[in-house]
Amino acid sequence: MDNIILVVILPLLAAFLMPVMARTSEVLARVTGLSVLFVSIVIILSVWGTVDKQAVSFAIGGYRPPLGIVFYIDQLSLLFALAIPVMVLLFWPWNKVTHIREYSLLMLLTASASGLVLSGDLFNIYVFYELLAVASYGLVAVQGRSGQKSEGAALAASLRYLILGTVGSVMMLIGIAIIYTQVGTLNLAHLSLLAPEKLNNVAGLSAFALILIGVGVKAELFPVNSWVPEVYGAVSTRLSALMAGLLSKLAVIVIIRLLVLLFPQPEALQLMAILGMLGVITGELVAWRSKDMIRMLSFSSIGQLGLVFVAFSIPGDIGLMAGFAVALHHLLVKPALFMLAGGWSGPLKNLSGVAKQSPYIAALFVLLIMSLLGVPPLPGFWAKLLIVMNLASQSAPVYSFALAFVLIATVIEAAYLYRVVMILYKQPQPDREPQQSRQKNHKFADLSIASAVAVILVVVVLQIQPMEKKLTSMAQQTGDRQHYINTVFSKLNLTDLKSQSQERQHLVEEKEVQGSK
Amino acid sequence: MRNFTSLLFSGGLAFLLLVLASQLPFGNPVMLLGGEIIQAAPDEVGTANLVAAVLLAYRGIDTLGELAILFTATAAVGLILGRAHASKAVHQDKDSGFITTRGSDLMMPLLIIVGFYIIFYGHLTPGGGFQGGVILAIAFFLPVLTRPGSKVDHGMITIIEGLAGAGFIMIGLWAMLYGKPFLQPFFDTFLGNSTLGSLWSAGTLPLLYLAVGLKVGAELAGLLVTIAEAPAVAEATAHTTEAQAVSETAKVEYK
Repeated sequence: MDNIILVVILPLLAAFLMPVMARTSEVLARVTGLSVLFVSIVIILSVWGTVDKQAVSFAIGGYRPPLGIVFYIDQLSLLFALAIPVMVLLFWPWNKVTHIREYSLLMLLTASASGLVLSGDLFNIYVFYELLAVASYGLVAVQGRSGQKSEGAALAASLRYLILGTVGSVMMLIGIAIIYTQVGTLNLAHLSLLAPEKLNNVAGLSAFALILIGVGVKAELFPVNSWVPEVYGAVSTRLSALMAGLLSKLAVIVIIRLLVLLFPQPEALQLMAILGMLGVITGELVAWRSKDMIRMLSFSSIGQLGLVFVAFSIPGDIGLMAGFAVALHHLLVKPALFMLAGGWSGPLKNLSGVAKQSPYIAALFVLLIMSLLGVPPLPGFWAKLLIVMNLASQSAPVYSFALAFVLIATVIEAAYLYRVVMILYKQPQPDREPQQSRQKNHKFADLSIASAVAVILVVVVLQIQPMEKKLTSMAQQTGDRQHYINTVFSKLNLTDLKSQSQERQHLVEEKEVQGSK
Repeated sequence: MRNFTSLLFSGGLAFLLLVLASQLPFGNPVMLLGGEIIQAAPDEVGTANLVAAVLLAYRGIDTLGELAILFTATAAVGLILGRAHASKAVHQDKDSGFITTRGSDLMMPLLIIVGFYIIFYGHLTPGGGFQGGVILAIAFFLPVLTRPGSKVDHGMITIIEGLAGAGFIMIGLWAMLYGKPFLQPFFDTFLGNSTLGSLWSAGTLPLLYLAVGLKVGAELAGLLVTIAEAPAVAEATAHTTEAQAVSETAKVEYK
């Protein structure tokens, strides 16, 4: 089980060594990167299924938990640890012009993303989050420079992304600092043990709000998502697929972990619900207004992420399950849509009658957006149904509002997606012919990714019950705080840890009393 | 409107943080782990400088992550500025005069010695890889400042930073080879655990600090040199105006 650390370490090692290797042989460096990704996948698959009942944790460097840093592996982290190398492999830039340092950045992205989902230490999570952020700024800026799109716009977009992201990181750091001043430890299990008495107050709530907004920059959360359309419009579709599909979900996972373990108060959930539903409605409204395929998909991604936040804000395991369902569905569908949209850049009206030219691509696109919208019996429908049913069963007024917002947003979504389908299947007008021939052709690799996603969707439809079972057990394991604490501190006496904190508290109080005398 | 909202936001944030800060028990931090680490570290890690024990042993993977962040930033800056530089002609700047060039020649060996001293004694006295690395970077950047035309071997910098980073990880993986957890400093199998406070103590920690120092030094030097060699300000402003123009048109389209 300790081998899991290699999933974080080997990509880092490759990232450091690739520029050195490239001095003798570029090919060797590229092969190293690819083979590290394959090795990571093999390592994860070799332990697949072993954590279904009981999660595992191990200490790095062998220092016992509250002192050293632990990695925590359960079904959730294992699933994402598998998804990261697989998706990086799928969206690997295969061309020859890409600079070796760009591959190096991609390996750093892989390493930090894996570390982010596996780590069980608050500050360690911050370090990996920051690494992820810096690597993605780098990739966006570089893509803008080498890409086919306008260079100036991409640089401006990446600069704005950098500023917003850095403000977010600082807010997250302040949130972590507040938690540390309240509790005095950084280990998530230890924090979770002490949270009910130490963080169930205004300070804890403001720490959560700061972390939510800070991490929310990457998760396309409502007030801090202005970078999304600009960046996705400026970079290559492969990178935007990776960012919209994977990186946003990783940020969501971080928030969920902290929410489950550290913040028991219902206000935290409600805050997330409010920001989520504002994200849903604004995202879908702007997507409805946009006249460009990539922009439309970017704003729809904001809306979908808002939906994910609304789902996770439902209290209890059922909320977690609904959230995982929507998040994983979006993780699959949005990259595939970006892959298809890559060949269809430019204003929407140029696409009229494309279905005649390439019926297969158009059909694939329609299938994917139908799932995104939630047309039965596609998986998107089940995910949305789960959210709507559970929102309706909640009594707090904020959830009734959320329900209304989600339904309205779905109607708007249906309106603009229907419009796109109409444009695609319109009879081509004779005078438009020369314009259509300017459309770039889809690459075979992009198409096969989208087709694979469509096949997965169909398989999920057929296997809906096992999927539901798997999601339920994942949600139960993630939502079980006591399980987390017991796993990390399996060899320690929990009461010792608690009494130690109480002793410390007494000491502080005594000192205060002496001081006041 | 935008200015007003950002003012409101930062004012609100500042107020919130002030209120929270006023409630903190200053002088009595609630740290739960400090005492335990102070007691356990001399036996468990064997460093006289406990900060080094936390940095490299208890939270070693954080340090690795921070090294990687520095590496990422350098790689990204190098990629963005490096390409513009490649197409540029030679620098025309002259030396900065007799006194500064000779002064920097005198300083350079001294700075290198001080830098390595701080790195090697990092586990014994305050200092360590990060601080020593910065001094090393300055030592190698000084000649570039005083002789702007001089060539810098970027290849050498790349090799040093890559191998130093790889060295840090290799030392960690080496522990795994012996069936121990990643990044555990060994005592018995390697470098013998001699007395607390001597130069050869704390197992592999001094080697880790050497890797950190070399990496930080090479990276910072590379970064400074890349920025110093970046094309003139005139071209940079041309870029910004172009970017502004494009973003303006984007705004118009958006409206």
